[in-house]
Amino acid sequence: MRNFTLRLDKSKSVFIGLLTLFSINLSAEDFLIKNATVHTVTEQGVLENSDIYVSDGFIMQVGSGLVVEGKHTVIDAKGKHVTPGLMNASTHLGLVEIGAASSTVDYQTNNESLGASFSIAPAINFLSTLIPQNRINGLTRAIVRPGGGRSIFQGQSSAIALLSDPQGLIEEDIAQYASYGVAGANISGGSRGSAYAVLDKALEEANYLRNNRSRYLAGFDWKFSQSVQDLDSLKRVLEKKIPLVISVHRSDDILQMIKLAKKHEVRLVISGASEAWKVAEEIAKANVPVIMDPILNLPGSFESLAIRLEGAAILSKAGVKLVFTGIDWQSTHNAYLVRQSAGNAVAYGMDANEALKAMTINAAEVFGIENYGQIAIGMEADLVIWDGEPLELMTNPDHVLIKGVKQPMVSRATRLRDRYWDLKNIPQKAYIR
Amino acid sequence: MLLVGSLISCTSEDTTKIEATPPQDAFPSTYIPAASESFVIEHATILTGTGKQLDDSSVLVENGKIKLIGQNFFIAKDMKRYDANGKWLTPGIIDVHSHLGVYPSPGIESSQDGNEMTSPVTAEVWAEHSVWTQDPGMQLALAGGVTTFQVLPGSGNLIGGRGVTLKNVFARAVQGMKFPDAPHSLKMACGENPKRVYGNKGRLPSTRMGNVAGYRTAWIKAEAYRKKWDEYYESLGGENEKEMPSRDLQLDTLAEVLRGNILVHNHCYRAEEMLIMIDIAKEFDYKISAFHHAIESYKIADVLAKENICSAMWADWWGFKHEAFDQVRENAAMIENAKACAIIHSDSAIGIQHLNQETAKAMAAGNKNGLAIKEKDAIAWITSNAAKSLGISDKTGSIEEKKMADLVIWSHNPFSVYAKAEKVFIDGSLMYDRLDKNKQPVSDFDLGITEPEGERL
Repeated sequence: MRNFTLRLDKSKSVFIGLLTLFSINLSAEDFLIKNATVHTVTEQGVLENSDIYVSDGFIMQVGSGLVVEGKHTVIDAKGKHVTPGLMNASTHLGLVEIGAASSTVDYQTNNESLGASFSIAPAINFLSTLIPQNRINGLTRAIVRPGGGRSIFQGQSSAIALLSDPQGLIEEDIAQYASYGVAGANISGGSRGSAYAVLDKALEEANYLRNNRSRYLAGFDWKFSQSVQDLDSLKRVLEKKIPLVISVHRSDDILQMIKLAKKHEVRLVISGASEAWKVAEEIAKANVPVIMDPILNLPGSFESLAIRLEGAAILSKAGVKLVFTGIDWQSTHNAYLVRQSAGNAVAYGMDANEALKAMTINAAEVFGIENYGQIAIGMEADLVIWDGEPLELMTNPDHVLIKGVKQPMVSRATRLRDRYWDLKNIPQKAYIR
Repeated sequence: MLLVGSLISCTSEDTTKIEATPPQDAFPSTYIPAASESFVIEHATILTGTGKQLDDSSVLVENGKIKLIGQNFFIAKDMKRYDANGKWLTPGIIDVHSHLGVYPSPGIESSQDGNEMTSPVTAEVWAEHSVWTQDPGMQLALAGGVTTFQVLPGSGNLIGGRGVTLKNVFARAVQGMKFPDAPHSLKMACGENPKRVYGNKGRLPSTRMGNVAGYRTAWIKAEAYRKKWDEYYESLGGENEKEMPSRDLQLDTLAEVLRGNILVHNHCYRAEEMLIMIDIAKEFDYKISAFHHAIESYKIADVLAKENICSAMWADWWGFKHEAFDQVRENAAMIENAKACAIIHSDSAIGIQHLNQETAKAMAAGNKNGLAIKEKDAIAWITSNAAKSLGISDKTGSIEEKKMADLVIWSHNPFSVYAKAEKVFIDGSLMYDRLDKNKQPVSDFDLGITEPEGERL
């Protein structure tokens, strides 16, 4: 068996010194996870009977038979599997508590002057009950994105770690979102033609403004198709600092967006992508990542007629970088079910390691999230210890670590479960916390 | 036209009573099972749906019915054999909560036919009259092992109308899919939906108490109607033959519920609302067959066991409404543990394709917290318990002799994410074969829709 244990002496290692600069959990407990099947999501693949040493919130060593010095807690993971904490790349976590209670919904705005410039970062509620419920089920990271609104641009997303604390905010305004196809047409005059024109014009104007910003004086009424602040927000898209994520489904619509992205030289990411498999070669050639929920196979719209369960496998084999979300209709409250979607992608032909990548490192790469997504030295210790094969439905987490901190396996739902686990002495239940 | 009704009671002195006959369905089933040969499925791991797992066992099917189950029995030499070595065999999957055909795919303006939201009580509408038989979702459900499903009206109304149980077969008319002799159901809805829909229209109900007033008002009318008609039937042929009452389509349905001929399927999330609905059922002497979307069943599992009411649940959906906020992943397992009737339902054209997966998650959640529910038990949540709630458990939902040969051969343990329904039989006829493209049905809609010479998939 390959063994790539890197023995580090904490007191001498420059490496450790660098890591501690970024560490926010200096007081975190150290862990030695022993005898696990480790899904590294690196080129090392799956390591049997291996150990992971976690210190100061980071993965310090990976290998078999590790011996470490200093105070640490041993987690015996014999017969268990370890993966990086999973990520769902398209959620409204922290932006909604109850879907049908508008006072708890923050992922869209009806403010007409806020399109591309809309940022959901200040709205994220890290005390949401959805965060622990997803965390205890193996999700440790998420992209929190805007959705809906009055502009064809929905605004900017943030990356979070699923901590019940504002420190969970990893980076704000990491991607811009827009719609094409049916949704884009509906918001821009009823035709894909108008949607294309609106997107094209906005990017053109943003580019103009970017190059002529000094000519713009406050109070001067420039006639742009979008507000000046929205066009200013697109600057980072044009500078390729952040990707432009366009929701699009029909295969020929996808090709139109690839064309548009080429014209304006932006980093396109396709989202939704019902019929993407039909143009897999073109997407791969354009080097465009795809965000999708692979369990979706219903021709729910005339723009998704060709959707199929083999779509993810076809795209993956064509070399398209896939990033998973799911399960579509519960991709926020049950964002952790991205794991079930990924399992279905594997059942329909996708490589299991590629499916894990689509819930970890691929998302990290597409959204520029550092030190997350693999079990490798130097990565933040977002780890899930599963009681079985990680993609299986009957598998559940035993332990979840986020940035090296072991999380309590408690949510509002487990509190309710425990209250009603037996139904004796109901009147007394109110006094049991 | 005479409506022939059934009697539920009459005085013992009455010598002139007519024979009770079930009311004739105005749209009777024309379903005829596809031709089926005799065959045997051999060496399967069988989950019977009756709480048993049989390893390396066989099922003999004759004339569309299960003839024999066991390990060693004589088989004619030329009989068709399916080797299921390493595979699993279950009863055909049954979904008690589908809107296939009434909210078909693709979902466009002109096909939203599942919710008659023009009046809070629309017991007169029947879901079957909205079913588009060419919904491509039906074939996808078949590929997920679904042989029978109940199509319900939506939950916008207090009383939404009649549901219908269908065999998952291709037909030109809905009558050709209707499960023979399956009772109709009545869809009722608690909670947020009806009060939101009618509250927004500025009329009753706009509150949960308005909801309850709405049900009771309807049942009071229905009870008077039933009594009038039953007295009329009793008087027929006697000295004081009564004049035939006038017929009311809405009250026809409700009276049939009160006579026990239509089963109540009640969308209801919250524990306190379920308990109110149980009292209403007692007040008007009808039976609730199942609570659907029963998010809070775990809080009242003991009562549901005692009242013999099934809970049709999702494995894990929650939070889309306040009444869905108290979901626990162990809900179904806690119902099973209380010896009440647990069902996993879909309410989704994607979920219906993965009911085995949803059941696996729900079982595993309970076991993670200390229960020991086995596959042989949990399979009942999507087979025999579902059949029971639909009033068809004497015909399907389990692998037992004389039952309809509605069967699924799975590539793996059906509780694995990698399991696929490989062969699906309905009444002993092979309706879907994953290994044979010619045995994969496509709807009219699918033909030529993405390319003129091919099908959608």
